Amino acid sequence: MLREYKDVMAEAITLRNVTKVFELPCERQTSLKAAVLSFRRPSARRLVALDDVTLSMGHGETVAIIGRNGSGKSTLLRIICRVYRQTEGAVEVDGRMSTLLDLGAGIEPELTGRENVYFNGAIMGLTAREIQAKFDRIVSFAELDKFIDAPAKTYSNGMLLRLGFSVAIETDPDILLVDEVLAVGDAAFQQKCYNRIREFQRSGRTIVVVTHNLDIVKDIATRAVWLDGGRVRVDGAPTDVVHEYLKAARVDQEEKLN
Amino acid sequence: MLAEIKELLRYNELIKQLVKRDLKIRYKNSVLGFFWSLLNPLIQVATITIVVKYILGLEIANYSAYLLAAYLPWAFFQMALLDSSQILITHRDLLRKVYFPREALPLSAVLSNLVHFVLALVVFFAYIIFYIHLILHGSGILLTALWLPLLIVLQSLLIIGLACAVSCLNVFYEDTKYILAVLLNVLFYLTPVMYPAELIRAWLQKWSISEFYKPIIYKMYLMLPMNALTDAYRKTMLPVTSLRLRGTEVEAMPLDYVTLAGAGTICVLIAIAGYAFFNKRKWIFAERV
Repeated sequence: MLREYKDVMAEAITLRNVTKVFELPCERQTSLKAAVLSFRRPSARRLVALDDVTLSMGHGETVAIIGRNGSGKSTLLRIICRVYRQTEGAVEVDGRMSTLLDLGAGIEPELTGRENVYFNGAIMGLTAREIQAKFDRIVSFAELDKFIDAPAKTYSNGMLLRLGFSVAIETDPDILLVDEVLAVGDAAFQQKCYNRIREFQRSGRTIVVVTHNLDIVKDIATRAVWLDGGRVRVDGAPTDVVHEYLKAARVDQEEKLN
Repeated sequence: MLAEIKELLRYNELIKQLVKRDLKIRYKNSVLGFFWSLLNPLIQVATITIVVKYILGLEIANYSAYLLAAYLPWAFFQMALLDSSQILITHRDLLRKVYFPREALPLSAVLSNLVHFVLALVVFFAYIIFYIHLILHGSGILLTALWLPLLIVLQSLLIIGLACAVSCLNVFYEDTKYILAVLLNVLFYLTPVMYPAELIRAWLQKWSISEFYKPIIYKMYLMLPMNALTDAYRKTMLPVTSLRLRGTEVEAMPLDYVTLAGAGTICVLIAIAGYAFFNKRKWIFAERV
């Protein structure tokens, strides 16, 4: 149903014919000596991580990206959030993005939790005042009140996740990009995250999540995209896509066994 | 380039946070904190003073002040470049996982060293005023020290340009940081830090080339940014009464503002070139670090 009125809305994320090629030199030339010794360019292996992907995600959609390892999910996410630049094609994003690509990305171990909230917020492009205004909500959502003045290096993985997720979502982005990180949290926090994500969905915001947890896909996504070898294989309702995906996985397994 | 600068300014809070973090972490686990950053130059200066003044016989009134006036800017140059050569590699995680204007990293390395430099200058001023002026009744700080902000801006631009280039090169060739360390070591002796620029001029007089070229060569020498800057820091802050090398008088020259303007222009050009070089490559960093 979402697919039908999607065209009327301005898109939150548009990818047009996006291709990403990584040049993987067989031996990485990071020293001058190596570069001088091999006069000609090293025979670079080209890896096509994304192959002519055209996708658009509307405001209010929650899109789950699924696919096997190496299918280009993370590359896609990194291209949307501009960490990587596409080799070809165009990417347009409408609205402010928050990203949570990894546990503890942008968390400085020597700084306290409090300092890290400001540091992390600044990385996302917020001003000190904006962070100040959201500080209490961030800390209480992360359940870190007691530890907020302890250095982040003393934090557990779960605490790092809570801090990262909390800053990402409580800073009110229009678009939230999450790479498989929620798995680290305990059941209670995961539940809390999903509740918050649902609230976020209801306010018309866009979420793109990369995950291997197919239950989550069926549970929270409004749409799923199955990437296979850098191409979109199936794009549609989560239950259908997951069904196709599992069927293909079974067929693969059987082929291997035979 | 203007659009890039605008985007960078939008992330000014990030630059502030990076500098703050740098200053916090650097001395977090040390008892003497900031004083370590003063102790190192002081020990250097004491050693150089003993060697140059007493062993080599260069006679300049208040040599240690004369040396510090050039040594502190040199230390800023050296530390900022060494720090920025590593800054992209040490922020690998951030580069690979978050979008932000990449130049914020080398810029923050330069700015946090700038903070140290300015604090060191404050201590230096206190030293001149309380010790040399009030106790030894030597001269204080000259009024031309009002040029200082301009010199600091020019030097910062120079360093930012070089820091951009060096940090970027180091992503592709990690030899850069070693080459840089060697070059800085050599450059320390070639730049008039331990000795006045006038000694180069006196040496030039002895060359067997046409008299016509000598002032031109000296001007070109003074046009090199760090030569110009160390010379200018010294001459705007401190008066030079007389220079004597092992009993022989060396002619002291006033600050040549025209040449300094030329050097300043070079600083600006280096800043623009370094930034452009960086910008052209900055979106590959995430794939290469």
